[in-house]
Amino acid sequence: MKFSRRGVSDEIPTSSMADITFLLIIFFMVTSTFAATRGLDFALPKDDKDPPIVEKEDSVLISIRPGGTLEVDGRPMQLSGVHEYLKRHLENNPVKPVIIRPEPTAAYGDMVRVYDTLRQLRLVDRKLVMRDDVPSLSDEQWEAARNINVSIPTQREIDQFWY
Amino acid sequence: MRLKARNRPNAVIPTASMADIVFLLIIFFILTFNLEVDKARVTLPKSVLRFEVPKKAAVISITEVGQMRVSDGESASTVVGGPEDVLSFATGVIAGNPEKEFVLKADNGVAYRNVDRVIDMLKQARVPVVYLLSDQEAVEGGGG
Repeated sequence: MKFSRRGVSDEIPTSSMADITFLLIIFFMVTSTFAATRGLDFALPKDDKDPPIVEKEDSVLISIRPGGTLEVDGRPMQLSGVHEYLKRHLENNPVKPVIIRPEPTAAYGDMVRVYDTLRQLRLVDRKLVMRDDVPSLSDEQWEAARNINVSIPTQREIDQFWY
Repeated sequence: MRLKARNRPNAVIPTASMADIVFLLIIFFILTFNLEVDKARVTLPKSVLRFEVPKKAAVISITEVGQMRVSDGESASTVVGGPEDVLSFATGVIAGNPEKEFVLKADNGVAYRNVDRVIDMLKQARVPVVYLLSDQEAVEGGGG
């Protein structure tokens, strides 16, 4: 009489693992995105019922025209010239607000360009500087330095509260 | 005389390391996985300063032609008719979480009028902070 011995395999079957992992990879490749997850923060006022009244002569007004040209306090200016202009006006009066006023038909990207430039400026020892101007300053000291006071009023606010 | 055994090339492709590579790829994708809630295709403006946008922030997108979409950051975005719909959406989101951050994903070339009205609606809805989504601007040659 013959006895047939059925041996139990001592290997874990891993042949389908490659299929599963490739399916997972394809899933993540298709659904994941490296879309931009960074941007400029723009704090909105807590309460717009009672905004601070800003007089024309107490502020620097940057108008953005269609095509990206700028007018600073009524004078045409390149974006690179804004820093020097603000130095003259803000170093004596650091709390002076800078108002960005894009025209309705101006491109949104031009507003971001101007806002980005203004956000890079800080007041260190009453001097209006960019980060590269003060390499000796530590990152903590730079973060603690005062930002300039930038506001971007909306058209409704301009209609309601503008001088 | 003894004949030398012929050195036959191995016909098997070595795949033992494939599992390691594949698992590394999976780990990479799991870590960088970020489900896109808004599929609107826009050309973002460029900026030098860029801060990390909080995860699950509500998204408002505006395409070049002014089409608006909103998402609460959890579900896929839906097209809305105009800024008034953005106000009702933002009011609802802020009622649930007064500290909720919003992301504005607007096209570089969209007329500012569209963005202005959306920002105005967000102000009225008492949104505390809006992130203006942007791409990295090269520092050299920036400004102008």
